[in-house]
Amino acid sequence: MKRILINSEEETTALAQHFASTLKGGEIVLMTGDLGAGKSFFVRALANSVGVKKRINSPTFVLMKVYNVEKQIFKKIVHVDAYRVETDDLLNVGLDEYLDDPEAVIFIEWGEKIEDFLTKNDYIFQKIDISITGLSSRVISI
Amino acid sequence: MKKIITILAIETSCDETAASVLQASPDGFEVLSDIISTQVRTHAKYGGIIPEIAARMHIENMIPIVNQALKKAKKKPTDIDAIAVTGGPGLITSLLVGVETAKSLSVAWNIPLIKVNHIEAHICSSLVSKNQDEIKSLLPALALVVSGGHTELILMNDFGKYKWIGGTRDDAVGEAFDKVAKMLKLGYPGGPAISALAEKYSPGKLSPEITLPRPMINTGDFEMSFSGIKTSVLYNWNKSRQGKKLKKAMAHEFQEAVTDVLVYKTASAIKEHKVKSLLLGGGVAANKVLRRKLENAVNEIPGVELSMPEIKYTGDNAVMIGVVAYFQYLNKDFCEVKNFRPDPNWEVT
Repeated sequence: MKRILINSEEETTALAQHFASTLKGGEIVLMTGDLGAGKSFFVRALANSVGVKKRINSPTFVLMKVYNVEKQIFKKIVHVDAYRVETDDLLNVGLDEYLDDPEAVIFIEWGEKIEDFLTKNDYIFQKIDISITGLSSRVISI
Repeated sequence: MKKIITILAIETSCDETAASVLQASPDGFEVLSDIISTQVRTHAKYGGIIPEIAARMHIENMIPIVNQALKKAKKKPTDIDAIAVTGGPGLITSLLVGVETAKSLSVAWNIPLIKVNHIEAHICSSLVSKNQDEIKSLLPALALVVSGGHTELILMNDFGKYKWIGGTRDDAVGEAFDKVAKMLKLGYPGGPAISALAEKYSPGKLSPEITLPRPMINTGDFEMSFSGIKTSVLYNWNKSRQGKKLKKAMAHEFQEAVTDVLVYKTASAIKEHKVKSLLLGGGVAANKVLRRKLENAVNEIPGVELSMPEIKYTGDNAVMIGVVAYFQYLNKDFCEVKNFRPDPNWEVT
């Protein structure tokens, strides 16, 4: 895991863009970090960088939002928020449909909540942790 | 076509199970019953809505609530001209309960089914007290919908004719209230908790000074952002001694910052789009500071009317579903039972 020091939203955007270029589809990314760390911001920046035109706003309320992606190896970005809920709730709203979808890239905020489930069921996942070091400075471990 | 229509409306998009019987005609709406069973106490224990629990409670409550709505309205199934139900947006597991119930009743009673958009219903929630001529005089209107899942500015040219012109690019207003309440350990739901604490704040020498940002207020468009205010609260709070006075000041300034952004953007949109009225809707429409600031702002714009829902119609309810359904009924906008699936991300525009 690399630790990257970030001093502005622009730097986060650049990092998200770079991360997007490494995606092939089928990835599951667990996002961790405090409220206000910028987990949603990272996913939004990434989705915008691959041409998603729709507004990428918070999935907290409906738990999961799915965005179609054009002209990339992967076809969908699935943005999930486990903040208020447990693994079963995410499966109930349809996350299980996407976990096995090779064309979807899944970002799960508060991903630590679903980590055990993924490990037990032999899913491969990666992690991005964002920690707050100042008002606009962050350490992103990727 | 009959002049007076009797509608049974059902709403289960989130954590309220609601049914209402209303009579609608060009002379206005008469709410014969308005039954709501809220699960907020159950979910408060968890700091938010748990979908599985919400769905189970909807299933338990649905039929008794429909029965109560009919009984209170003194109507039999044969008196009902149409069934209306929320088809989205919302939590899929919650939506399914209302939709499947409405579909079954539509088939069993052999009456038409109307699929209503939940956001359109919030937009129209203040129209229940108005007749058709009054409603027509409000159009074109600008709608501000503010809730736990939404913060949108929508132009309404007519029923079914909407254009999204702005809104949040990150957190919804209600969500920001909930999350800040959680940071300040004020409990769930966050809106009422923060407002209550903010009311106790009195400025003066002994109160700590807190200034939060008003993000995107000068961007010249109608986009908003509330995530940054939340982050700023977190940052200021974490580096402080977290005392009671600061908590009050923080709640007060947070509410001020959020309502400043909402009101400024809304007033700008009214002026630019030259609408005849502002329609307010959604759970956060119950916020007193927001209502007061909107009243002041709209008063300063000549020829614009402010239409705000009664507090009981700000949260989720079935009455507002019935209001929209009436206009769909007039347009014969019915839906086929067979192909009707709720859509958790159904956008009104």
